[in-house]
Amino acid sequence: MAQILSVGIDIGTSTTQVVFSRIEMDNTAGYFTAPRIAITDKEILYKSKVYFTPLKTQTLIDADAVRDIVAQEFRSAGYSPADTQTGAVIITGESARKENAASVLQALSDFAGEFVVSTAGPDLESIIAGKGSGAWQYSIDNDCTVVNLDIGGGTSNIVFFNAGDTQGKICLDVGGRLIRLDGGDSPRITYVSYAAAAAAKLAGVRAEAGQTISRSDLRRICDVFADCLAGAVGIAPKSPLQDQILTPGSDVYAPARPSRRICFSGGVADCIYSQSGEDDLRYGDIGPILGRAIAENRYFKDQKIIQGGETIRATVVGAGTYATNLSGSTIFYSEGIFPVKNVPALKLTKDEQWAVIGGDAQLLADKIRWFLQQSDSPRMLLALQGLPDPDFATLKKLAAAIVGALDASLAPGEPIIVVVERDIAKALGIALQQTGCQRKMASIDSVKIEAGDYVDIGRPLMDGLVVPVVVKTLLFG
Amino acid sequence: MNLSATLSGKTYTFRDVKDVLAKASEQKSGDVLAGIAAETALERVAAKYVLANLLVRDLRENPVVPYEDDEVTRINQDGLDEAMYERIKNMTMAELREHILDYGMSEANLKALGKALTAETVAGVCKLMTNLDLIYGANKVRVEATCNTTIGKRGCLSTRLQPNHSTDNVEGITASLFEGLSYGCGDALLGLNPVNDTVSSLAEVQKRFDEVKNRFEIPTQICVLGHITTQIEAVKRGAPCDMIFQSIAGSQKGNTAFGFSAATVEEAMALLKEKGTAKGPDVMYFETGQGSELSSDAHYGADQVTMEARCYAFARQYHPFMVNTVVGFIGPEYLYDSKQVIRAGLEDHFMGKLSGIPMGCDCCYTNHMMADQNDIENLALLLGSAGVNYILGVPASDDIMLNYQTNAYHDVNAVREVLGLRPIAEFERWLEKMGIMENGHLTARAGDPTIFTARSNF
Amino acid sequence: MLDEKLIALITEEVVRQLTANGRVVLPDRSPGQESSADPQNVVGSDRLLEDPLDPEALERMKKRTTARIGVGKAGARLKTQTMLSLRADHARAQDSVFADVDPAFIEKLGLLSIESQAGDRNTHITRPDLGRKICPKGVEALRQHCEMSPDVQIYASDGLSSAAIEANLEKILPVLTEGLQAKGLKVGTPFYMRFGRVAAEDQVAEVLGAKVVCVLIGERPGLATAESMSAYIVYNAYVGIPEAKRTVVSNIHKDGLTAVEAGAYITEVIQQILDRKASGVDLVK
Repeated sequence: MAQILSVGIDIGTSTTQVVFSRIEMDNTAGYFTAPRIAITDKEILYKSKVYFTPLKTQTLIDADAVRDIVAQEFRSAGYSPADTQTGAVIITGESARKENAASVLQALSDFAGEFVVSTAGPDLESIIAGKGSGAWQYSIDNDCTVVNLDIGGGTSNIVFFNAGDTQGKICLDVGGRLIRLDGGDSPRITYVSYAAAAAAKLAGVRAEAGQTISRSDLRRICDVFADCLAGAVGIAPKSPLQDQILTPGSDVYAPARPSRRICFSGGVADCIYSQSGEDDLRYGDIGPILGRAIAENRYFKDQKIIQGGETIRATVVGAGTYATNLSGSTIFYSEGIFPVKNVPALKLTKDEQWAVIGGDAQLLADKIRWFLQQSDSPRMLLALQGLPDPDFATLKKLAAAIVGALDASLAPGEPIIVVVERDIAKALGIALQQTGCQRKMASIDSVKIEAGDYVDIGRPLMDGLVVPVVVKTLLFG
Repeated sequence: MNLSATLSGKTYTFRDVKDVLAKASEQKSGDVLAGIAAETALERVAAKYVLANLLVRDLRENPVVPYEDDEVTRINQDGLDEAMYERIKNMTMAELREHILDYGMSEANLKALGKALTAETVAGVCKLMTNLDLIYGANKVRVEATCNTTIGKRGCLSTRLQPNHSTDNVEGITASLFEGLSYGCGDALLGLNPVNDTVSSLAEVQKRFDEVKNRFEIPTQICVLGHITTQIEAVKRGAPCDMIFQSIAGSQKGNTAFGFSAATVEEAMALLKEKGTAKGPDVMYFETGQGSELSSDAHYGADQVTMEARCYAFARQYHPFMVNTVVGFIGPEYLYDSKQVIRAGLEDHFMGKLSGIPMGCDCCYTNHMMADQNDIENLALLLGSAGVNYILGVPASDDIMLNYQTNAYHDVNAVREVLGLRPIAEFERWLEKMGIMENGHLTARAGDPTIFTARSNF
Repeated sequence: MLDEKLIALITEEVVRQLTANGRVVLPDRSPGQESSADPQNVVGSDRLLEDPLDPEALERMKKRTTARIGVGKAGARLKTQTMLSLRADHARAQDSVFADVDPAFIEKLGLLSIESQAGDRNTHITRPDLGRKICPKGVEALRQHCEMSPDVQIYASDGLSSAAIEANLEKILPVLTEGLQAKGLKVGTPFYMRFGRVAAEDQVAEVLGAKVVCVLIGERPGLATAESMSAYIVYNAYVGIPEAKRTVVSNIHKDGLTAVEAGAYITEVIQQILDRKASGVDLVK
């Protein structure tokens, strides 16, 4: 058994949070076969306060203030950056924009040696939030379908779980801070997003920055949002708004059947689960009104609503606890090659893989040269599907082609790293060694990587049998 | 005591009663492996002649494992009905066979007779029976036992529902369980063979079985077949449990290899009396199988039929609710082919009934035996006609955890219909209530496991 | 007799490995549907259980177990499809026990072929004691043709599944041999033993004076796969060595641990055994 400390940091549209968790792993295979190390337990050790994400302007994050928050929370939790072996810092929702991410990365440079700032991308965000909220576990425990709606300040990340399997996800620009207001008896709009403007138009309500607006008009806009969410989860007709406010980069998933259980997370979830008697405009946005509109919505009202455990902290808990995976347990690597951070992955298609095995050395060399040029990173890894039940001669051909192409293109001192999906990494490792290449090399398996992904691989664990792996979408390399 | 017989001019002489018993056995690969089987067909018959002329008391006075050395022998010898024994001890074994088969032998008298027979006598008379003799003799007797419901009534054929799973995944187990219930299986027992013999793993499944049993108000019994000591610990920690299981052997040495003794069984019974979830009084479940003593080198040079009979002598002391022989599980080194397995199934059932225990049979085979599904379907039908208390049921005959094949959930219904048998009455009423059975036949809805999910949160 | 129990335990382990967390990982077996029978051979009504009350629940239930559930019925009997796919799986399993490894296959790999004392298939099945001993001619052949006193002696044996050997041997031998040689070890002359049981490797160790012996042997087949092979690895073996001294790598087949990856893993296990001068339970300590 081994355990590692993981940190999760979520810098969202409206809130910033930090959690620390313990990830425990063990050999789950029997005595009579090859080891199979799996994550056996996860426990959240520390949850930070929920901070409002500090802003410099309406749309630009105050990165220095974010750094102060993170530094403060490390101190409060009693950990130093060196204590954490894995983790994820994700910028979500409207914050996930290039200039924000650039400044945050800059500000967190003190911590950059240990982890890297990334955006998860809307799809992964949905899954992370759905796992963090507890919806995923609920679907396993109760052997049922659950849809999780993580409704934050800027986006609603929706994911469908069927007894632990992710069926689909969709992300819409629906959130509590899409309209911001000055308080008072006649609230005045200070900011309105394009999605809120579209919803207002559909509701027949005028809503532009600078004007005053009635609470009932705000409610009409939120009712349109609520119907749109209901349509997206398959319990209402699809809203004409849905296609207009689909978050860029989102999957488009339409469930075949309505889900049996609905779970909410994100900042707005608290306003759905319990309506307070306080002023709906207490946060200077439409969050509480949106929450009320969803809670009272004619479609959602008939559904079985469940509470997963985490609401506003779902994403950060998900990032800290579920972003880390383990490699297969029969792998190969040179001493001291790990950890590596932020390595861009060149993914070969199945056809390309076969071409390489067939002896097309030029194809691989060209791809690698092109990839290194456009990624402006000195290092890279090669991701492959691998083969179902290969013989060793085939792996030797593959290894020779890989080493030939990478050795010629990589700068001196850069390692050769291959990641395969199929469980063949140790055999491929022997084949890599047989090429006689003097670079550090690694062959890791049971990890699925898509084109454009970036990968962190941590120090080996469990007597060197496995390595922790975080796969993510980086905003920029 | 004459230990010789002459056939076709050749005289066969046997060393002792143990040798006669071994050589008189129908051919079994396990006895060949042990080096004790008859070498020719004629030698086998010669041994049967010798056996037929031995007296009942010769067999009692020559147990295959000495009284002083062995708890099972002591339990058997000390527990006999001595008054009845006095009346039959000078019968020859040939006479005993005919006495059992005679029209004048009533069910009550046969049960009374059984109480005066040692395991060696039971095994001996078994070796003088043909397959139809074994069916005919066994059919005279029904042995009833009561846990929550009563098993073994004439006209009933029950099933143990065995929803095994390769990783003990509770949802996976429940899926197989619902499938089996939807086919009308499970009136004898809902019983799982666990992969992980740990208290927590057992307790988790026991809890699920208990929930299902209570939620759907199923009149039946539950058991998770871990090691007896693990089950005891689970019950002590509050796991719901109707019945405690253990595999048993025909010698103390064999039981020691299984990790228990008579005292352990007594502890389990006392515990269930206090903390069990069943009404009782019969709360033990034993499994046996020819050849298990040889595999743990605890057979004392005796043949596997005789060692098997000794299991039943041990079992009857504890009034089990159910006992079954897992007849084809052990493999071809002990039972080579379907002929040997079918013979063994009929022998075990007959010997169990004659010993006075509520006998069932796991009609099964492994993939390295010369047997297939046809053979164990034959055995199930033969045993159904012999009056067996129950057979097994698994999804489509394929047990994904024990890696062998037994009867499918479907089979018991076919056997019931062919032979005019029914499930235990209150279980049948429950099946009717659930829309699974009507007039002793499966309904159109039967076989749909989602009958149960549609009504529950599982 | 102990190794029979060990085999039973391993068989269970294999079955367990075929599923992970109750999920089916066998790609070619859709439980309750076609099993591993060829899916194009659909006969009878194309759907098994018709109109379940809760189709979604049935789908989930099938994901939770490899048991053949949701199969429906014809009267009180199985549907034709289910009955035939069971028979197909059983036939595959039985054939792999009772058929010989094709001699041409052994020849193609250039392996010396010897036999145990069992002499024929039926004796092999019923007399495990004879399967643990090499026949005198075989002993002679080993002495004549094999390199003596290797660090590692690898050989293959049919055990209870010839299909396992035919499916995996060609893929595992090169990586195993080359991987061990790359570690600077002296690898003995590989060979094949017909009608062999696991413990025959103890006599192999004595005859050839091998430090480590590794037998690649066919496992008792199940309905899920008939092609599963195991490696039993033992350090400083002698006839009568306790079973617990063997290190076992089971579940080697295309849907479990693939042959080539198993070979790579075994080279490392053998290196560890040589470094620590122990195998089996002694290695775990």
